[in-house]
Amino acid sequence: MKDWDRLITVEQMEEATASLLENAEKVGADTWQQRSKNQSPHCGFGEAGTCCRICSMGPCRITPKAPRGICGCDVHGIVGRNYLRFTAGGTATHSDHGREIMHTLHQTREGGNYQVKDPEKLIRIAKEWGVETEGKDIYDLAHEMAEIGLMEYGKPFGHQKFTDRAHPHTQELWDKADLRPRAIDREVVQSLHMTHMGCSSEAEALIHQSIRSGLADGWGGSMMGTEFSDVMFGTPKVMDTEANIGVMDKDMVNIIVHGHDPSLSEMIVHYAQDPEMIALAKSVGAKGINIAGVCCTANEVAMRHGIPMAGNFLNQENVVLTGACEAIVVDIQCIFPALGPLSKCFHTKFITTSDIARIPDSEFYRFSAETAGENAKAIVKMAVENFVNRKPELVNIPNQKTKARVGYAVETIKKTLDGVCNTHVDEMGTLKPLADVVKAGVLRGAVAMVGCNNPKVRPDTAHIELMKKMLKNDIIVVVTGCSAQAAAKAGLMDPDAKEFCGEGLKRVCELVGIPPVLHMGSCVDISRMMILASDLAKDWGCNISQLPLCGCAPEWMSEKAVSIGNYVVGTGINTYLGVDPYSKGSSEVTELLQGETGVKQWCEANYTVELDIEKLGDLMIEDIEAKRAALGI
Amino acid sequence: MARHLFDRVFCGSDEMFAKAEAEVNKLAAELGTSAPMVMPSTAYFLSCIYAYIGKKVTTVGELQEALADVKAMMLREPRTNSIFQSGVGTAIAAEMIEACKYARDPAPYGEAGSPDRKYWGHMTDAEVRELGVPLVTGDIPGFVVIIGPAPTTEEAAALIKGYQSRGIFVFLIGGIIDQAYEAGLSMGFPVRVVPVGQDIWAVGHVISLVVRAAMIFGNIQPGDCDGFHRYTFDRINAFVNAFKPVNDITVACGAGAIKLGFPVITNDHDDMWAVPKSLIIYDDYNDWIDTSLEARGIKLKITKIDIPVAYSSAFEGEVIRKADMQVDIYGAKVDCFELVQTKEAADVEDHKIEVVGPELDELEVGSMASLSYTIEVAGKAMQPDFEPVMERKIHAFLNCAEGVMHTGQRDMIRIRISKAAFDAGFRFKHIGEILYAKIKSEFEAVVDKCQVKIVVGEEKNNELRKGANKVFDARDERLKSMTDESVPVFYSCIMCQAFSPSHVCIVTPERLGLCGAVSWLDAKATYELDPNGPCQVVTKERCLDERVGRYEDIDEVLCDLSHGALEHVTLYSLFEDPMTSCGCFECICGVEPCSMGVVITCREFAGMTPLGMTFSEMASMTGGGVQTPGFMGHGKHFIASKKFLKAEGGLARLVWLPSELKEQVKDKVNETAKELYGIENFCDMIADENSCGSGDPEELLTFLSEVGHPVLGLEPFDM
Repeated sequence: MKDWDRLITVEQMEEATASLLENAEKVGADTWQQRSKNQSPHCGFGEAGTCCRICSMGPCRITPKAPRGICGCDVHGIVGRNYLRFTAGGTATHSDHGREIMHTLHQTREGGNYQVKDPEKLIRIAKEWGVETEGKDIYDLAHEMAEIGLMEYGKPFGHQKFTDRAHPHTQELWDKADLRPRAIDREVVQSLHMTHMGCSSEAEALIHQSIRSGLADGWGGSMMGTEFSDVMFGTPKVMDTEANIGVMDKDMVNIIVHGHDPSLSEMIVHYAQDPEMIALAKSVGAKGINIAGVCCTANEVAMRHGIPMAGNFLNQENVVLTGACEAIVVDIQCIFPALGPLSKCFHTKFITTSDIARIPDSEFYRFSAETAGENAKAIVKMAVENFVNRKPELVNIPNQKTKARVGYAVETIKKTLDGVCNTHVDEMGTLKPLADVVKAGVLRGAVAMVGCNNPKVRPDTAHIELMKKMLKNDIIVVVTGCSAQAAAKAGLMDPDAKEFCGEGLKRVCELVGIPPVLHMGSCVDISRMMILASDLAKDWGCNISQLPLCGCAPEWMSEKAVSIGNYVVGTGINTYLGVDPYSKGSSEVTELLQGETGVKQWCEANYTVELDIEKLGDLMIEDIEAKRAALGI
Repeated sequence: MARHLFDRVFCGSDEMFAKAEAEVNKLAAELGTSAPMVMPSTAYFLSCIYAYIGKKVTTVGELQEALADVKAMMLREPRTNSIFQSGVGTAIAAEMIEACKYARDPAPYGEAGSPDRKYWGHMTDAEVRELGVPLVTGDIPGFVVIIGPAPTTEEAAALIKGYQSRGIFVFLIGGIIDQAYEAGLSMGFPVRVVPVGQDIWAVGHVISLVVRAAMIFGNIQPGDCDGFHRYTFDRINAFVNAFKPVNDITVACGAGAIKLGFPVITNDHDDMWAVPKSLIIYDDYNDWIDTSLEARGIKLKITKIDIPVAYSSAFEGEVIRKADMQVDIYGAKVDCFELVQTKEAADVEDHKIEVVGPELDELEVGSMASLSYTIEVAGKAMQPDFEPVMERKIHAFLNCAEGVMHTGQRDMIRIRISKAAFDAGFRFKHIGEILYAKIKSEFEAVVDKCQVKIVVGEEKNNELRKGANKVFDARDERLKSMTDESVPVFYSCIMCQAFSPSHVCIVTPERLGLCGAVSWLDAKATYELDPNGPCQVVTKERCLDERVGRYEDIDEVLCDLSHGALEHVTLYSLFEDPMTSCGCFECICGVEPCSMGVVITCREFAGMTPLGMTFSEMASMTGGGVQTPGFMGHGKHFIASKKFLKAEGGLARLVWLPSELKEQVKDKVNETAKELYGIENFCDMIADENSCGSGDPEELLTFLSEVGHPVLGLEPFDM
């Protein structure tokens, strides 16, 4: 098979980065490439998860000579506690993002900064939650739903409402294993409590709570973040956009939005289109205002507005290094503190907006739902006025740009699949066409690729190489987060990338009109993938764990990623990691996560950790083929 | 456990291959490997092998060698690529099985036109080329291959007629053929229902037709598998209907069809695996037509016409014999005519259909009638120049009605209405209904109002005919004055690009489109009807070489519209950047090196020319938007144009024509020759298959010397 010529390779991207690093050298800037070297080798105890610094008797580090901590906790308890705390950090983070969205929903009003753009979806969820919708003003309903949703964080009794959406068999498993999450905050708090000095040291209990905490994220906080973002900002629809560093424009005012919460970026995008602002940009000699995204904010605005994606997590310094970034505006999560000193080397304004993420050397504009419009306008104005401060000799925007078709929410996927249904034969609005095409073997299965970049892995290589491998084997790939941007940057979201696929996937792409890699959103939107898997199993007529699909986070790095991994496995989907989750120090924890007895017994799925990417890909394909064989297809 | 789709395809393709292997080896043992292996009337050898493997099979030995190539396609990985490859391999194996029959007998299913020809088998290149224009215009919106016997004869007939009435070209394979005969359906290539063969390997003939279409119209090169797949997927609207029970070998053929982009619809649930838009399992075969059209994305151009008989392009080729006719209307015997006239809006009452004189039921069965119809149209954008354009369409409009036959034009029309149509309630007023509906729908951009006046009776028509002839004469005068020099602009036509992506026609008053269907006026009307449509204005302001008709502005348009495939074209030369062809040309002319003349042959003539090539072979030299100096496709009427081969000396170069074509163009050719060279009865100097039938150039030279053909006095070609 001849490789598709429009694909951008990792090597080409590295060349572009190298030219930007020359810029860094010119201005004496520090970069993650250098810091990563400085930090190597990493602490072996930390990497194995065998260092405990939960109380001040330690830190205790487990060695063959010192097999227990001062309190007597063994390595399994220490690794388990560290794992649960890591998870709790991720659950808290995603869920707090969801909580912010619920607060914003509570602020929506007709003609206000924030409005209900998808009332149908709001009504659909309200009905699901048993809320009366008839004759109710949509904003009254929105506020009522916001209050109910916020109660999901702290309600004293009952379980997460959204878990009722899951496949019945999955719900049974959860109940049987006592894994159905209760109030979100309670799961986080209990995790912290369990890991306090002198509480849990039994690995099984700690991993059990890790999974439940993860499920509170995926079927709780994250799902609320996703669903109610759709209600306020619109459910993503298929749209064409562009990706990679070349989306920055040397003749325009470039504003980079970075972070996670769409509440900020939506406003910035809105005011960047304001005629007054555009006129201002022209008055300072720019052709206009160009917004581009980095990290999950990029995903949010690409999915809803077709805003181009400049790069993913490890590209955040690159956008500044172009010397053409007037402002990098951030909200929460995954923001390098390095952006502070780095922006000082250029004319770039580094603007923080959230009390959650306060960073030295930034300009802080407290962003709130009430004043969002004014805040956003002031930020855009400042960026535009900063255009004149650009140093032309430092401007270097590598000419790398790809086309990307994005916007595949579950609703959009179903609607897209309707396009291949036959109105005489098929039922509309289901995932049955996908089920059929997999049953027939035209597609072998699906892989959900998610997660971050990590300097421990040659950035984007694992994402891109694994995707290519899947595509050639007729395995469709759904993506979110920084994995999505890796795909987009490489060109794998261009519908023409079908040329790169096996014959089966290529044909599916042609008939359905999709790229072979489907962008499902930001990292909170992995909750979309849970609904997709669950609905697919329902339409297929089997359990989620029987489906020939798996999850994969080959370059993950954050606590959120572990929380996500836990809910993906907890939902019955085998998950493949390319970076070890600080658990290898304990055989018990490793068995509970990766073996047959722990999470596999509770949820019918487990983790596989394999640092060799080629092998990781082979294992996923084997897994998918084994699931097919078990189904007799 | 159910058998999986992949296993079924693999088993079925093994079965087909084993059969092919056995047949070919038997043939080799019987005839020897050096025996010729020729499919009749094609320049594309065993076209499936030629297309997908790139090999020209001319002997039984070469056929035998190709077995290994087919075997190599039978991949067995659990990946779609394997079932696709195996499926295509299955189709090639099918072609091999059928070819064995042709190696033994050039007409294994009987001669064309013979009543014994129950099965059609191989289709000729000429037949493939005939499909060009109707495919482009959408008159044939698609093809269906129906496999198997339907549950009942009635249901088989209903399905076939259902497709036929929608213009879908029908290929039948297997038991449904007997059912179609039993139901008394008329079948054959002209009525677009072809009983291909009894056995499943007859699909080889259908795929052969498909790949030849890709080579002829798309210039897809032999061996370019991806090119063929892309062409069929994007441009050939075919699909399959397979009745249960569908066995493995049919499933394997289905995989091939799906690879080509042709969905399969079946009512067999046993071990069958639904694949959206590709393999559809559906019990209600009475609903298969709409289901299939949707699956292949075929949208029909539907004009609702209020008549009591079926209306479809499939009936265009229908012949009504004397014994079957209710009435005969014939301009050569009685006064008849058809005319389109532009009127003021106030003088036209929309949808008024008037019959003056007796209706059809007042005439005797089988009688000859004098009939005329005048279509009066009004519209802000209407121009009298469009009148003849509309008139030329009447033939197609009326012929599409089941039981109505129309030929000729102006006052030389012939219309027959069948007894069956009459019994169904068809009357003269329905002629008006058809004309009204079609004129309004096809010319909606220029016709706001339309009324039809039908006059029956010798007395009235005698007077009316004189008036009509005055209109025709005036038009002819205008047409005569219309030369390439007198008009301000030419038009490009890329109607064929749906099938022939890099071909561009430049249509001028003295050079109509090579399909014969688009004159300068047609192109002009098409442009006015749809300014963003297939015909565009081409300016002719920057002439580079008047002798050959080379213009800088035309070259620019050509380059743009051919997407860079072509850079230069001349309007009047056979050698210097000749105009390309899409493949659906009426005639082809090619240089005859002994006499330094050209021979022209046409689609209808299957015989040999003095070039030692048939129409098919000459046609395969060009087409698909490729420039081949010395060969050029063109319309029949171009022969008598003063611009025909103007750069090379014009009509005087013409040394050979099939007699049938000569007869058709005789008057005009003689007239032009007289005007250009002062030669009387020039056509008598042109050889044909009777005066020069051997295909021997020496014989031709002798003939030309005897008659004193002017070519002998011309300079040799500057080749």
